[in-house]
Amino acid sequence: MIESPGVTVTRTGEHGAFGGELLTVNFGPHHPSTHGVLRLIVDLDGEQIKRVEPVIGYLHTGIEKQMEALRWQQGVVVTDRHDYLSPPINNLAYALAVEKLMGVEVPPRANALRVIMSELTRLSSHLVWMGTSGLELGAMSMLMYCFRERDLIMDLNEEISGFRMHTSYIRPGGVMADATPRFLEMLDKFIREMPGHVDEYEDLLTMNPIWRSRTIGIGVLPAEDAKVLGATGPMLRGSGVAWDLRKAIPYSGYENYDFEVAVSNDSDCYGRYLVRIKEMREAVKILRQALDKLPDGPVNVDDRKMLPPPREELETSMEAVIHHFKLFTEGYSVPPGDAYVAVESGRGENGCYIVSDGTHKPRRVKFRSASFVNLQALERMALNHMIADMIAIIGTADTVLGDCDR
Amino acid sequence: MIDSALVVDKGVTARDEWITVPADRIRDALSALKKDGYRLLVFLTCVDHLVDASREFPARYELVYQLRDLDKPADLRLRTFIDGDPPRIDSVHDIFPPANWDERETYDLFGVVFAGHPGLTRILMPDDWVGHPLRRDYPVGGETVEFSEEHEIWQTPPDEA
Repeated sequence: MIESPGVTVTRTGEHGAFGGELLTVNFGPHHPSTHGVLRLIVDLDGEQIKRVEPVIGYLHTGIEKQMEALRWQQGVVVTDRHDYLSPPINNLAYALAVEKLMGVEVPPRANALRVIMSELTRLSSHLVWMGTSGLELGAMSMLMYCFRERDLIMDLNEEISGFRMHTSYIRPGGVMADATPRFLEMLDKFIREMPGHVDEYEDLLTMNPIWRSRTIGIGVLPAEDAKVLGATGPMLRGSGVAWDLRKAIPYSGYENYDFEVAVSNDSDCYGRYLVRIKEMREAVKILRQALDKLPDGPVNVDDRKMLPPPREELETSMEAVIHHFKLFTEGYSVPPGDAYVAVESGRGENGCYIVSDGTHKPRRVKFRSASFVNLQALERMALNHMIADMIAIIGTADTVLGDCDR
Repeated sequence: MIDSALVVDKGVTARDEWITVPADRIRDALSALKKDGYRLLVFLTCVDHLVDASREFPARYELVYQLRDLDKPADLRLRTFIDGDPPRIDSVHDIFPPANWDERETYDLFGVVFAGHPGLTRILMPDDWVGHPLRRDYPVGGETVEFSEEHEIWQTPPDEA
């Protein structure tokens, strides 16, 4: 067996179809195409893959343990860091779980802003996926085009929250701050331009002969296998199963938006690519509806036990000072019990399971990450393909190792 | 339909339905629920109830299986309580394949031993790690960090090394 990373060892006693021995090759953990730090132990017969064993844990940061030491409102900052390509969606899962256990409903404007941030994040996550996967399979200019538009989304993040990546914008009880008029203007411009950019990506990839020959028929995952292996997100929809949490178990008012679930019956890497392209177009549609119908009103729940009072009240009201002091020294407590909320991230079902013992800190926070479960389907997809196809298969599975290892 | 003799307790917390089953019948309960249509195991995890005065718990470790029926759609949470050192329960990886890594993770972080698992090794922590970090009696910040001043390698002067 392999003793240390980077060492290739021949296993004896097992023979391939051509009479040669199976070769065990170590792939990663520091390989540019593994989207993070993923190590694979691959058994090869010639160039054919006969066994894949993913080794994960290189990006394990123990955020579930850290959150047990933080107060409920402080935990939001940690959730940003687990799936680092979609921070607001992680915030949303955590915020919804805390609100569910506390029995709190956020105002409609907060819900609409949450939908806007989720869809922007989905776009940004798919852009990073498409840029890097294109780069790995020989379409180098994809990275430039995709990161150009991703930067616009970063600017939007910065305008609304002050941060470009780890926004911590969605919090239990609402959102951090109301959208500024400049944000709404920038968003409007972005929505008008984005469909044209998606056309550009399609011009570069959809009929590109190299892209097609590297992805069509590669990494086939039949629908029944995808369901059995628990795959979610574009992995499941790329296999022809129209399962989307935004439609099936709506949250944050997704039932009020008109959009289609992107499905492809190809079941291969190309099908998963088509699903993501369609999802980007649908995300723009949702953004347009959310912006046009953006309701007026508060963006936070009116609960002084959960969120700090406005600055001006502190000068006139003793009660506001007490609430402010209590909130920033002790925090709020959540009633004993547990709750699970699942949201649809760019990768699939990212859920948050929380357990409270009635104190101001969580007893347990568990993140159900899509990458962790989807990665288990890797062997099923890669079997009997060439080692070079592994790049396409890992790429279109779109695992984020920060999400996987937490 | 799940045998009512298997259900020790049931209820709804924060709009989530749950049932409690005896730990030694976990495989029967999950097989029955899978036949009922709960074909997806969303996640499997453990909660350590060490010194939790808020409620009454029959044992220290609570194992949680979140199941989903994709056709309805409906969720159901299945709980079971175990004790012991190490706590032991039957593996369900052959009923629900995604449980394979989840069980490895629960073993890694809580030290729960799943009998019948094909390769119960650490998955997130390094292979030579001692202890199970998500247990409540495992301190935060208790480990030495490499390259910090406390780390013994860097405390040794060059001439003594």
